[in-house]
Amino acid sequence: MWLPGQGRSRFGFTVNYQFDWEPILESRALILEGLATTILLSLCALALASIIGVIVGTLASSRHKGARLGAAAIVELTRNIPLLIHMYIWYVGLAFLRLPPFLCGVLGLSVYSGAYVAEIVRAGIASVPDGQNKAALATGLTRLQALLLVVYPQALRIVAPSLGNVFSQLIKDSSLASAIAVMELTYQASAIEGQTFRTFEIYITICALYLLLVSAVTLALRLLAGPRDDAPAQELASA
Amino acid sequence: MPDVISQNMPFLLQGLVTTLRIAALTAIGGTLLGLAVGVAVQLRLPFVAGLLRVYIEFVRGTPLLVMLFICYFALPALMGLHVTAEQATVLGFVLFIAAYIAEDVRSGLRSIGSGLVRAALATGLTRLQSLRLIIVPLALRRIIPALFNQYVRLLKFTSVASVIGVQEFTGSAMLVNARVFAPVSILIFVALTYLILCLLLSSVGRVLHAYLAA
Repeated sequence: MWLPGQGRSRFGFTVNYQFDWEPILESRALILEGLATTILLSLCALALASIIGVIVGTLASSRHKGARLGAAAIVELTRNIPLLIHMYIWYVGLAFLRLPPFLCGVLGLSVYSGAYVAEIVRAGIASVPDGQNKAALATGLTRLQALLLVVYPQALRIVAPSLGNVFSQLIKDSSLASAIAVMELTYQASAIEGQTFRTFEIYITICALYLLLVSAVTLALRLLAGPRDDAPAQELASA
Repeated sequence: MPDVISQNMPFLLQGLVTTLRIAALTAIGGTLLGLAVGVAVQLRLPFVAGLLRVYIEFVRGTPLLVMLFICYFALPALMGLHVTAEQATVLGFVLFIAAYIAEDVRSGLRSIGSGLVRAALATGLTRLQSLRLIIVPLALRRIIPALFNQYVRLLKFTSVASVIGVQEFTGSAMLVNARVFAPVSILIFVALTYLILCLLLSSVGRVLHAYLAA
């Protein structure tokens, strides 16, 4: 039910919020600590998710049917379970392992995001023409060398934008680790909110910080992938 | 099925109903809002389009949990309102998913060739009519897979509402766990339920796409 506040206007509410950024500035140490934890959490999960994704995605493009089915099962099983449940599985379900919350956050986040990376890796490998792989093998490279030196680099350039999407999603998803008591940015924000009651200011601040992180990752990946190959676009333009 | 689950089934089902209610409400609300925002941005409506672009970028750069905190704590404080956790959740999810759906709608609209638009106008339809009768339905049909992707995300995201105290499926399951402490069987049950629901939802999307896009 919508209850009007004091000084009810004809819209049923009035804006009588006094902005005060002083408490936010005073608790900057906590915010920075949270930011550092978020960055560390995201980096660890990003690395682990990439490893899981490359392995599962390569299995999914294997010639063996069993490997393909296994990879598909892993992807569907992990992707269709909410991230929060992934974290609870490590933190509550496997509580007897006594893993520290940070590690539970990393594991939950990377298993969940790994499935998304795997789908992208599979699409990337499929987008590299088969002739490339055959030519690489014909020059005498081993299977692994052909994958690492010929197929993956070309695939990476193609999937860089989608990979950027998944990685920025991962950074934002890391906020859920606050639910299992990892003291990252969102956790610190709630704590500061509880102490200072500067609700709006603190959440706007961390929104800006998340936006900054996400933009940084997107930009880094764009630089890493190099200039986009404009051939298809030119073809379209001239058609 | 373990005793823990069957004994607490009514309570868990109640949570599941809440989850489904939130998901359905926000899917409908998010689609309508996303459609409106997407069309407005794509038509470059003066003044509005710029504001909506800022909204889209802001939401897409914000974690869902922070969005929920804003809707539950910050907006009520700003406006002097009181909202229940479930109202805040629905509002937060609608605002959140609409930004993503708007981007999908835009890509759907962009995929409609300009020849079709000109043909629609040439038959004597007004701009609004050709949009409503020809272009938007075609675009929507093309983005059904993307839309259902968002719905699946939404269904999974409803679990996050438990963090601000909504007793939906995850919330009630964790409550049961706090009482009886059987984390393994409860979490397996919860995970499998979400898995089945999400797989069902995405197969509905596939069937609908195959049926409509033919």
